[in-house]
Amino acid sequence: MAKEYRYVGKPTPRVDAEEIVTGEAEYIDDLNLPDMLYGKVLRSPYPHANILNIETSKAESLPGVRAVLTYKNVPDWKAGFPEHMCVLDSKVRFVGDAVALVAAETEEIADEALELIDVEYEQLPAVYDMEEARKPDAPQLYSQFPGNIAPGGLPFFGPNTLQNIVRGDVEKGFEEADFVAEGTYGYENKPNPLTPEPPGAIVRWEGPDKLTVWTSTQSPYLVKKVIGKALGLPNLRVIASQCGASFGSKNCSTEVIFYAAALAKAVRRGRPVKVVYSKEEHLAAYAVRFSSRINAKVGIKKDGTVTAFSGEWLANPGHSVNATQGEIAVGLGEAQVMLKCDNWNLQPRIVLTNQTGSGIIRGFGGQELKSAFLPILTMAMEKADIDPVEFFKRNYARTGDGYYWRDGEWWTCRGVDYSKAIDKGTETFGWKDKWKGWLKPTAVNGAKRRGVGCGVHGNADVGEDRSEAYVRLLPEGTAVLNVCIAESGGGQRSSLRKMVAELVNLPLDRVEITPKDTLLNPFEHGLAGSRGTYAVGSSVTRAAQDARQKLFERASPLLGVSPDDVDTEDGMLYVKSNPQSRIRWIDAMGGDERIITGLGSFDPDYSMPCFFMIFVEVEVDVETGQTELLIVTGATDVGQVIDPVSLKMQLEGALGSAGLDSALFEETVMDKNTGHVLTGNMVDYKWRTSLELPTFQNVIVETPLPSHIFGAIGAGEVTTSPAPSAVLMAVSNAIGKRVTTYPVTPDKILKAWSER
Amino acid sequence: MKSFKHVNAKTVDEAVELLKDHGGKANLIAGGTDLLGVLKDKILPEYPETIINIKTISGLDYIKEDGKGLKIGALSSLRDIANSPTIKGKYKVLSDAAESVASPEIRNMGTIGGNLTQDVRCWYYRVPQRIGGPIMCPRKGSGQCMAVQGDNRYHAIMGAKKCFAVCPSDTAVALAALDAIIKAVGPNGERTIPVKDFYQPLNNALNVEEIVTEIEVPKPPDGARHQFLKFTLRKPIDFAIVSVASVIAVEDGVCTDARIALGAVAPAPLRATQAEEAIKGKAIDDAIAESAAESAVAGSKPLSMNAYKVDITKTLVKRAIVS
Repeated sequence: MAKEYRYVGKPTPRVDAEEIVTGEAEYIDDLNLPDMLYGKVLRSPYPHANILNIETSKAESLPGVRAVLTYKNVPDWKAGFPEHMCVLDSKVRFVGDAVALVAAETEEIADEALELIDVEYEQLPAVYDMEEARKPDAPQLYSQFPGNIAPGGLPFFGPNTLQNIVRGDVEKGFEEADFVAEGTYGYENKPNPLTPEPPGAIVRWEGPDKLTVWTSTQSPYLVKKVIGKALGLPNLRVIASQCGASFGSKNCSTEVIFYAAALAKAVRRGRPVKVVYSKEEHLAAYAVRFSSRINAKVGIKKDGTVTAFSGEWLANPGHSVNATQGEIAVGLGEAQVMLKCDNWNLQPRIVLTNQTGSGIIRGFGGQELKSAFLPILTMAMEKADIDPVEFFKRNYARTGDGYYWRDGEWWTCRGVDYSKAIDKGTETFGWKDKWKGWLKPTAVNGAKRRGVGCGVHGNADVGEDRSEAYVRLLPEGTAVLNVCIAESGGGQRSSLRKMVAELVNLPLDRVEITPKDTLLNPFEHGLAGSRGTYAVGSSVTRAAQDARQKLFERASPLLGVSPDDVDTEDGMLYVKSNPQSRIRWIDAMGGDERIITGLGSFDPDYSMPCFFMIFVEVEVDVETGQTELLIVTGATDVGQVIDPVSLKMQLEGALGSAGLDSALFEETVMDKNTGHVLTGNMVDYKWRTSLELPTFQNVIVETPLPSHIFGAIGAGEVTTSPAPSAVLMAVSNAIGKRVTTYPVTPDKILKAWSER
Repeated sequence: MKSFKHVNAKTVDEAVELLKDHGGKANLIAGGTDLLGVLKDKILPEYPETIINIKTISGLDYIKEDGKGLKIGALSSLRDIANSPTIKGKYKVLSDAAESVASPEIRNMGTIGGNLTQDVRCWYYRVPQRIGGPIMCPRKGSGQCMAVQGDNRYHAIMGAKKCFAVCPSDTAVALAALDAIIKAVGPNGERTIPVKDFYQPLNNALNVEEIVTEIEVPKPPDGARHQFLKFTLRKPIDFAIVSVASVIAVEDGVCTDARIALGAVAPAPLRATQAEEAIKGKAIDDAIAESAAESAVAGSKPLSMNAYKVDITKTLVKRAIVS
C-alpha cells in the first residue's frame, strides 16, 4: 500500500495549465525579439544531386533581404555521428534537403527571395532501400561512409557504446530449441511523431563567439551540448520556449538551429533570426522514426524458454545519421530486458538512403527493433502454442537477471518484479476469456471479426544521464527550484515542483521553478526517455532534502533540539514532539538577508528497467479491410504515482506520437520514383483525432522502489513501444491469417483475407 | 502566401465581369477552405493576381423547395445543407454527404459551390512548393501522371485516362444519385450542366469566366431509402477512398426505382447504371445485391496499388442495396 502524502500521488493543477488554455503560453513562434529577422529555407526538388551552379544575386537585391546563404558562404559547422551534416552542402541527398537560406525583414519577403534563387543541378541516381543501398554499385551518399554504411558508437554514450549483442553460443542454443522461427520483417513506415507545434529556433549572436538560442525543446542543456560542440563554442546560452510537445524529436532541432545561427551570423550583430518550420516542412523534412528491418532466427523451448536469437538488424535513418547509433544501443538493451536468453548474436547495420531524415523519437530504437522482430517471435510462440502473456511474463527481466546496456557494460537488474502488473492487466482486460489461441478470433459477427493482441516494453533509461538541481529556501517561507527542463507535455515541471513542495512542506503556490535557461540553472541532461521521475526527480529531491537539512540545522539551537527532531510546515519550524514550539523560517535564517540553498545531483544507474504492457482488442471488417481499435488496456508498475492525471495521459498517449497508430495508418509515404514525400499535409498524413479514441483501461500498480525517495519509477516514454506489434497480433488473430507489414491498411487486410 | 489583390463582388454579374476582366488570372473565393491551401502550397504553375470574394453576393445562400424539387444557392454552407430539415427529409443522401465532409469548422466555412468545384486531392498534384514541389502533370498542362507508375492507392479505378485523380467532392456523389443539375452564369448568360457531366478529364466543365450559382435537384421518389456510405481511414477529416450514394425505392419488397452513384473511384461521380438495372423490378436479397455490386465494378481497371478499392466499392454497393 502506497504511503499517504500531502501532494505526491494526488492530482494537482499543472503549473502551465492556465497559460496553455488561455493562449498565453509562449511557444517558439510566439516569441518576437526586437529587430528580429525571419529565416526561410530553399529545398531541393531532387532526391540526390550535385549543385552545379547557384545564382543568388536577384534574391540578394530584393529590398528587405538581409542575407542569402548557400554552401559557398555558410559557416563550416558539422553535426551528426560521426560529424557529416553540414549547414548546407554542394550536394543534396533527399527531396526537401536544404539548398539555400534567406533572412529578411518579413516572412513574405524571405519567401519571395527564395523564388529568385536559380539553381542548376546535376541529378544523381538515388537509392531508397537498405538492401539496394549496400550493394557495391549503389549510389553513394557520403564519401566518408563507403557502401552507405555508417559506423556504430555514439560519443555521448561513452567509448564502449553497445554495438551488437554477442552472448553465449547461438549454435548450441538452436540445438536446444524445440521450435525455431525465422524470416525477414520490417517496420519501415517512418511514422512522424507529429508534435502539434513544428520545430523552431531564434538565434542571436551576442559577440563574435557568444550566442543565445531560443528553441522549442524540453532539454536546454542537450541543445547547449550538441550545438556548442558543432559550433566549437562553449559560450552558448539556451533558453527553451514552451514546448508544444516533443516525443523526443525536439531534444535538439539541430538543423533548424544551424540555419538560424548561420543567418544571424551573416547579418548585423545583435539582430536575431527566427526559423520556424511550416507543417509541410515538419512532415517532409524533419525527424521521422528510422526504418528498421531484421533478418533473424529465434529458438524457443516448449515452455517458452528462449534458447537463441541471431540475426542482422538493418536501420535506415535516411539521408544522415544523427542519433541512430544511440537508438541501436538502447534498442539492443531493451531487447534483452524483454527477452531472457543466454545465447545471442544480433548484428545491427546503419544504412543511409536518399530518404527524409530521422532523429530522436520516443521509443528510441527499442520500438523499431521490437516492431520488426515480433512477427518472428510470435511465429515461434505460435509453433509452441504458447499464450503470449505467459511468454512475456516468463521472459521479462527480474531482479538478478542481467543485460548489456547502452554503455556496453553488463548490468544486473535490481528492479521490481512486474508479474503483478502483468497479472492485473491480464485480469482487467479479460485476456483469458478473449484469447482463443493463435490466429483465432475472439468473436465473429458477420463480416466483423474481433481479435486481441498484447506486448511488453521496458527501458532502463529511467536512471540514465546526469542531473543537477538547486532548491533555494527563502526567509518569507517560499522555495525556488532551479532545474533546467522545459514542459513538453508530460507535466514534469509540475511533478518536480510537487516533489519539492512535499519535502519542504509548503503550499504548492509557494514553490516556483526557474525559467528554462541554461544561464540560470545547473546541468540537467533533460527529459529523455522516462528519466524525469527517477533521474531528475532524484536530483531535485536530494536538493530539497539538502536545503531542508540545512534549515533544520539552523533551527536546531533556537528550538533547543537536535536537527533530527525538527520538522516544518508552511514556512514554520517546530519540534516534532512538541508542535507548539515553533519559529518562522525567517527566524531560523536570522533575518531576511539570507537564503538557504540545497544541492542535489544524480549519476547514471542502468539497473532498473521500467515496464509497460499493452493489451488491445480490435474489430476488423473483412469486407472493407477496416480495423477499429476498441479497447486499449495499459498495465504498469510505477512504484509510486506522482501525478495521476499526468500518468494517465502518458499511458493513453500510447496511440499517437508514432506509436500504436503506426500499425494502423500512420506512415510517411514517399514516391519511389521521385523521392517526394506525398504525405506533407495533415490530411494525407493520417493521425488519429480525438473523435476516435478507444476505451482505455489503465492498470497502475505501486510497488515502491527503495532507491527513490518516494519509491517511484518513470514509465512515460515506453508506452508507445509495445503497441504496434500488439496490433498486428490482434488483427492476425481476428482474420485468422498472419499480417506482418506496418501499417495494416485495408488493402493489406483484404489481401490477407482473400489468401487465408 | 504571396500577395494578391482582393476584390469584393456584390452581384453575380459583377463577379462574372471581374473574371472576364482578369482573363483567367483571377480566382473566386467563397469559403476558401480549398483555395487557400492551394495558394499557400503554390502547387499550380499560375498564381492568381486577384481573388474575387463572392461571399459578399447577397441572397445566394438559399435552400428552397417546391413541388418539383429543391433549389440550393451556391453559397449555402455545408453546415446549412447538413442541418436543413427539408434536405434531411426528402433529400437525405445529400445532407448525409454534406455532414460527412471534413470537420465542423470546414463545414461552417465551406459552401456547396466550393465543394463541387474544389481541386483534386491527388497527392502528387498537391506536393507543396516548399518541400520540393510542385510536380507537373497533365492537369497542370505538362508532364505525365506520376500516380500511374507511383503510389496510386487512392487514385481512380475506372474511367480515367490522362489524369487518375478522383473527384474529391462528397456532395457531387449524392447529387449525381439525385440527377441534380448545376447552373452556371457566364458572360453569355446562364447554362445548366448535369452533375454527372460536370467533371471532365482534366478540369471541371466551367470556363474561366463562369460562376456556379445554383444546384437544382429534382424531387426523388417518395419513401425512397437514401444512403451515403463513405469509406475512409478515419471518420473525421478524410476524403473518401470510396463512397456510394444511393436512392432506392422499394415497394412490397420489390425495387421500383434505383439510383446508385459511385464516388472517389473515377475523375467524376459515376452512376452504376448496370447495378441499378440489375435490381429494378426485383425482390431485394443478398444474392441480387451481390450480383449488382459485381456489375457496379464491371468496368474497373485498377492501377498497381488500388485493386482493394474495387473490393470496397463492391461491399459498399452491396450494403447500400441490402441495408
